[in-house]
Amino acid sequence: MRLRLIAVLLACAALGACTGGGDEEDRAVTGGTVRILASSELADMEPVLAAAREATGITVEATYSGTLDAVETVAEGKADGRYDAVWLASGGQLRLRPDVARKVVSQTPVMASPVAFGVSAEAAARLGWTDPEHTSWAQIQRAVADGKLTYGMTDPLRSNSGYSALIAVASALSHAQSALTDADVQRATPGLTEFFAGQSLTSGSSGWLADAYLHQGTAEALINYESVLLTLNRDRHTDFTVIRPSDGVVTADYPLAALTSAPPDVRDRVRALTRYLLGEDAQRLITERTLRRPVTASVDPAEPLPPGKRRELPYPGSRSVSDALLASYEHKLRRPARTVYVLDTSGSMKGDRLRDLKAALTELTGGGRRFRDREEVTLMPFGSAVKSTRTHTVRPGAPDAALEAIRADVDALAAEGDTAIFSSLEAAYGYLAEAADDTPYLTTIVLMTDGENTAGSSAEGFRGFYEALPRERRATPVFPIVFGDSDRSQLAGIAELTGGRLFDATEGPLDAAFEEIRGYQ
Amino acid sequence: MKRILGIVLAVLLTAGVAAAVIAGRDSKDTGTATTTVRGVIGSEKAEFFEDPDVVKALAAKGLTVRVETAGSWDMRDLPLDEYDFAFPSSAAPADELRHWTKIRGGPVRPFYSPLVVVAHTSAAEILARNGLATLGGDRHTTGTLKMDAYLRAAEKDTTWQQLKGVEGHQELSGTLFVTSTDPLSSNSGALYLAAASYVANGDTVVADPAGIRRTQGLLRKLVQVQGAQQSSSDGPFRDFTSGVGNPLVLVYEQQVASLLLAKTDPGELTVLYPDTTVSSDHTLVPVTEGGRELGEALRTDARLRELAVRHGFRPAGAAPEFTAATAPYADYLNQKLTGVRQAPVPTADVLNEMAERARG
Repeated sequence: MRLRLIAVLLACAALGACTGGGDEEDRAVTGGTVRILASSELADMEPVLAAAREATGITVEATYSGTLDAVETVAEGKADGRYDAVWLASGGQLRLRPDVARKVVSQTPVMASPVAFGVSAEAAARLGWTDPEHTSWAQIQRAVADGKLTYGMTDPLRSNSGYSALIAVASALSHAQSALTDADVQRATPGLTEFFAGQSLTSGSSGWLADAYLHQGTAEALINYESVLLTLNRDRHTDFTVIRPSDGVVTADYPLAALTSAPPDVRDRVRALTRYLLGEDAQRLITERTLRRPVTASVDPAEPLPPGKRRELPYPGSRSVSDALLASYEHKLRRPARTVYVLDTSGSMKGDRLRDLKAALTELTGGGRRFRDREEVTLMPFGSAVKSTRTHTVRPGAPDAALEAIRADVDALAAEGDTAIFSSLEAAYGYLAEAADDTPYLTTIVLMTDGENTAGSSAEGFRGFYEALPRERRATPVFPIVFGDSDRSQLAGIAELTGGRLFDATEGPLDAAFEEIRGYQ
Repeated sequence: MKRILGIVLAVLLTAGVAAAVIAGRDSKDTGTATTTVRGVIGSEKAEFFEDPDVVKALAAKGLTVRVETAGSWDMRDLPLDEYDFAFPSSAAPADELRHWTKIRGGPVRPFYSPLVVVAHTSAAEILARNGLATLGGDRHTTGTLKMDAYLRAAEKDTTWQQLKGVEGHQELSGTLFVTSTDPLSSNSGALYLAAASYVANGDTVVADPAGIRRTQGLLRKLVQVQGAQQSSSDGPFRDFTSGVGNPLVLVYEQQVASLLLAKTDPGELTVLYPDTTVSSDHTLVPVTEGGRELGEALRTDARLRELAVRHGFRPAGAAPEFTAATAPYADYLNQKLTGVRQAPVPTADVLNEMAERARG
């Protein structure tokens, strides 16, 4: 003890000044790395984490994921040993899972942002929503039900902003006075069906949702965190009127928690990081850079954040209510999906690759995350050209027939021929033009290929084809999966052109990529 | 130049730490060097243990303390043999942890804090207007929550909209309730049930199955209305101070006092003392000798007692320190707990059973 004090005194002497306090103690625990599994929108915290490294010596290695997927990862024990901490949008999901709650300690909210409704200035003016402080979910629902507005929202099965919106709208429409019950959900169902008919854009993550909104340009509103909407206004020149609905909001409070599986000294680092983040400097930086609300009372919210209070709508207290609400969204309330799989079954897919592809698709025909009721699934295997086009619709109440038929088709896939990527994509868009009817499907194309284009149209040819499509056809994005020896830059080009997103199955398993894409379909 | 100084500083500090570690190792038996003790604590005590002055005062007693937070009842599920002490927020959960103690000497209760309800002043004024509370202070910053009237309102699923004077407060809608933590995880949530059940049981502590049955309907209402609850008391208080969440939140008096003593502008705040409440006597359960030393230091060291007051705790025994320190904030705090009755707490088994039935 005395030796250390002497050393500190020497250090102070060398500097000619000493800030004193607990600096020496902090130095003793800090430095090193913390691996954090984080909600995807936390990618905007990079400048704050850089400041944290400067101040504490702690380096954060963040892996981003949808909030609900992250909860699943922790629940299944897959976070043990891989991560030291979790940093999710909300603790609500953790609280529904006592098995997960036991795996975390030191859970501390770090900042707050309510889920809000951003509507373009033009639409807000048209609808007469001139006062965002006094506009309600009930008014928004009415406008959507009357066909006056469409919007984008993330998948509530994967992402917290979508889940929060689902709770908020269900609470508002059922006039629930407290935490949602099954009876409330029943009561809200007709109104919710009308509301979700207006959802023209979905996404597995809130970050991509904003990109897609800007690319697609058909929706006029976006459900997202207040912070994300205001940041878009600031950085990407959108003109959202940001409504925190007057009949209640669900707020993300971003608790940072250490995993009990991490070693004690690493958990100390997580606490030191939390302590830094709750300090005034970090809180000020957070609110100014990310437009979230501070949780330390001595720091004021950044300028564009309005002070008006809102009723906070509670998360459901029981998993059965939550699960029933999600299942209802998935199979009944949301727009049905029209999903086209353009699948490379060229000669190079022979063996393990084809086996992996079959397994990945078969997984989507059973279990909790199977193809949804009312979903229309089209399989277009290709080699030198499209080999067949087979479509199955999952019937509510009797889903097994279609699911079994899909399994049989998948099982019959055989590897043969060259690789005609672009001609096959053109065929997929052609099929969608023919199939178009009055059903308001959410339409997507998934492209899985393990090689480069060797037959049919070229990349340039496809670009010309796509750009000549009518606007409503161009709204269908392609989600390419990088796999085997496929050409990443070529596939990235397809995603960029069509407003889709690239998924990588070269690092992780193929079935995980197919599963992740479900959030975008 | 700055950079070089930084490096010099880092080297010196590293050397210092290394020296301390070596010194610690060498002389551990003599008991004069710092011993590092690890503990799991209720989250409301985290700021206390992380205060640099507390760190310094503990170092002067030869202790370096590392803490993690968890709900007091959740501590049962943690591997306590990794720790030197556990510091739940009251006696009942501490009792459940005592079998981890590897040494002689029982638990220590260095300080306590009564449960209070923090409210937005506008919400507190509406409660007062409807006979659910009385207010004091020039700006209505302190008051009493009438538990009997509040519980009757809860029994009837009273909503804010049904109360007089709510017009113009769009945030005040939905069922009237106090937000608490999960009574199965956290001490403050369980003590809320203790206080409410005492009142609902005719001012008698619940001690038998008949009492549990008599009160379970009401307790279930108090809990179910809240939906998912947080597992530790720091979270709901942070939400409250940042303007998120319900306008009425159950917290420890200490959390509010700590904010005031740090000279932080509390914003629109009224502290309501339930006329029947429960005090949580924060109870340190030593697992190892180091844990016991920490408990002793907290109980007896004058400097540490003073720092506990700075963080809003009331030290055990007569506490003129608390009254003196909080004198400037008498507008918010009921320093002598005038008109506040302390309800006895049911046994851990009864409390657990009540929480199970309320949550389930």
